[in-house]
Amino acid sequence: MFHWLEKHPFFFAVGVFVVIAFAGLIEILPNFAQASRPVIGTAPYSTLELAGRHVYIKNSCNACHSQLVRPFKSETDRYGHYSLSGEYAYDRPFLWGSKRTGPDLMRVGNYRTTDWHENHMKNPASVVPGSIMPAYKWLFTNSADVDTVYAEQLTVAKHFAVPYNQEVPMKDGSVKNVKMANSVAEARSLALEEAKVVAADMKDQDVKDAVARGEIPEIVALIAYMNSLK
Amino acid sequence: MNKLYLGGVVFTALMLLLTFLSVGTTKGGLNDDIVNMLAIAGAVALVIITVFVVIKYVRQMQVDSASGELADENWDGIGEYKNELPMGWAVMFLLTMIWGMWYFTIGYPVNAYSQVGEYNEDTAAHNTKFEAKYKGLTGDKLVEMGESVFLAECKVCHGINADGIDGKAANLNKRINAASVKYVIEHGSNYKLLGTDMPMPDRNGLFNANTGALITDAEIETVSAYVANGMKGDGAEIFVGACSSCHGPDGKGMEFVAPNLAGYTPALVANILNNGKKGAIGVMPKFDRLNDKQKEAVGAYITNISK
Repeated sequence: MFHWLEKHPFFFAVGVFVVIAFAGLIEILPNFAQASRPVIGTAPYSTLELAGRHVYIKNSCNACHSQLVRPFKSETDRYGHYSLSGEYAYDRPFLWGSKRTGPDLMRVGNYRTTDWHENHMKNPASVVPGSIMPAYKWLFTNSADVDTVYAEQLTVAKHFAVPYNQEVPMKDGSVKNVKMANSVAEARSLALEEAKVVAADMKDQDVKDAVARGEIPEIVALIAYMNSLK
Repeated sequence: MNKLYLGGVVFTALMLLLTFLSVGTTKGGLNDDIVNMLAIAGAVALVIITVFVVIKYVRQMQVDSASGELADENWDGIGEYKNELPMGWAVMFLLTMIWGMWYFTIGYPVNAYSQVGEYNEDTAAHNTKFEAKYKGLTGDKLVEMGESVFLAECKVCHGINADGIDGKAANLNKRINAASVKYVIEHGSNYKLLGTDMPMPDRNGLFNANTGALITDAEIETVSAYVANGMKGDGAEIFVGACSSCHGPDGKGMEFVAPNLAGYTPALVANILNNGKKGAIGVMPKFDRLNDKQKEAVGAYITNISK
């Protein structure tokens, strides 16, 4: 056997590869499967939150903001608990980012509020003196795209078994049931219901009027997404 | 003595000369510093050993001839002798195997590096140090710490001067404004300002003892202005009739019943930091990740600036 292998370097190389690959498989895969499972308290994005996530991606927020708290005291003091793999289970794609021109946003929902985001998006320097973040005024007039969100929800629910319309466990022991619509029209009305809750805490009259008319400005969706980051 | 040895000696002498030239004449070179002397001695030893080991093997290649019993394997005419295992090598090989078993079963699992483990150690060390350093902090130093925490965590909403940035958050330089008092009277409050679930009723549960009826719109306006004005001006009798049974006649609150309306207290601030609140302006999130000393310090700072 060994003599034969010594005479056939190609098959020897294949054998070496198989042995090392097997070690890698039993070492890496089980841990990977375990770590990528959603942690308790991680729920799928609701319709409006997902629309906000699309706004986040569209405006390339991830170019300046990360969503990854590293396990260092200095980071957890500022941003909260360090990130766990399972917290990204429903992020497609993940928005870790690679550069912090602005602060990390992984848990921004814990320490910023709807009206703060509203002030900040209109004029960042009004709440953060010296901020170099540009104003995002068009978010107040553009409408969020709920149709694409519904398409994404359908896809991930069907192909990746994202638990929409199912109970998922939360940290305090309760359960959360994130609804997904049965049709585009129903998705729009679901998103609008969520938008009304967010708009109630906002001050901008144009945004409130738009929501009352049945429109969803991008800012409302984005704030719903920001508030869901915990 | 053949050419090889001669070359070796010349090379060694050359290297030693080079070593001397590069360190011997420089400042801090061959002085009394033991570390310098050791380093130079090491360099000299290395040169001599290397040269003579090389010479030994070159000599061996020149004069030795192959002998012994050949193994069966033959690769394109290149054979291999059946040599015994060198004793030293065999011992090292066995020891390595034993070390490997120890490392896989005990060495690695017990001593493995963990990023989160290092984080936990760092955090515990920091907390112990913080605790020891600031345990007895009081007075001006506590207010100073409160200011630094305020500037790190609170100023984004309340502003650098704690003025609330034109109504975007509460102005902490005074206890409360009329709009906030009015909002609480109309909507009630259950924001654990005392640290306990102690709801304040909305306007449908607030009787004015003077009139024997529910509090009216006009009375709400008057008493709100009275409270916001620091318990001065018109409205004292409405306050006594409708509010003082819980908040006390002077508005200073009662323990476990109602919070202080006349001024901030460290306990009130700590409860807001622990639970957050919702009022006329909007929602304030909780900041319970601050540690107890930091909460106490923020309370001292706000109490101090709102005097």
